[in-house]
Amino acid sequence: MAESKSSASPVQVGQKSYEMPPKDGMTIAHFMVVADIERSLRFYETVFGSRILSRGDSKGAPGYLQLANMWLIVNVGGGPTPDKPSTTLSVPADPDSVSTFMNIRVADIQACYKLWKSRGATFITEPKPKYGETRCYIRDPDGYIIEVGQSNLGVTYG
Amino acid sequence: MSEVQVGQKTYRMPPKDGIAVARFITVADIERSARFYEKVFGGRIMTMGNNEGAPGFIQIANTWLIVYFGGGPTPDKPTVTLSVPAAPDSVSSFMNIRVADIHACYELWKGRGAEFLTEPKEKYGETRCYIRDPDGHIIEVGQSKPDFAYG
Repeated sequence: MAESKSSASPVQVGQKSYEMPPKDGMTIAHFMVVADIERSLRFYETVFGSRILSRGDSKGAPGYLQLANMWLIVNVGGGPTPDKPSTTLSVPADPDSVSTFMNIRVADIQACYKLWKSRGATFITEPKPKYGETRCYIRDPDGYIIEVGQSNLGVTYG
Repeated sequence: MSEVQVGQKTYRMPPKDGIAVARFITVADIERSARFYEKVFGGRIMTMGNNEGAPGFIQIANTWLIVYFGGGPTPDKPTVTLSVPAAPDSVSSFMNIRVADIHACYELWKGRGAEFLTEPKEKYGETRCYIRDPDGHIIEVGQSKPDFAYG
């Protein structure tokens, strides 16, 4: 069932505090359609140390994780709903055709590469230097790519 | 300043230690997207990027959006192509904005030019509606019902 007793997970930007669900304003999460909620929860917990807040329930409540400043919401796909009558949700049909992804910016990409690889993450390549940053990608269990990037010194936003 | 705090830990972009999680979206026009997320949601444009490959960064609530053009495979993802949504009705992942007052957000954001697919609708555990951004990416807007910590 949907868990209602997970500890609060406040996030603060400047003077503003964020929590999930928000008591005022808004809090942003990253939604992903997954084939197996439990498998995805375990993956994001094992590899990145995400905290599982809810495993969802059989009536349609999704799984929730907290990862650093972000919350991840994972649920199975499905056909159109009254609030999106022409949209179908599914796991990536073609994992090599991508329009949006989670982007994890890191302070030490070599350390993250080694740590997350040792925890079972599948990297597409080792970290590679690029304009303004060093970068590599992980495939999650459903084929989503996850960018891992470290900005070069002197580049505020690589 | 571009930092975020969770409990006792502060996140900044780029991170000085640990990690900070952003969302990347492929867009046709960086400036148009940056202005959209600024105008509708009050996002803060950190950079518009440049012509050499640096993307736009927008801070929005507890996270950052990174917006850039699509492109063919790169050495670090040799089989992957990035493009704006080819079929905006076939979706796997999207930004999900959880809100405290969905009707207020619906009126405010609509007033600022957001295109909603429908008005907010009741669903199990939550009230929900969707926006299409200028490139066709859907954005969920949802308010959990009182008895659901995670609706």
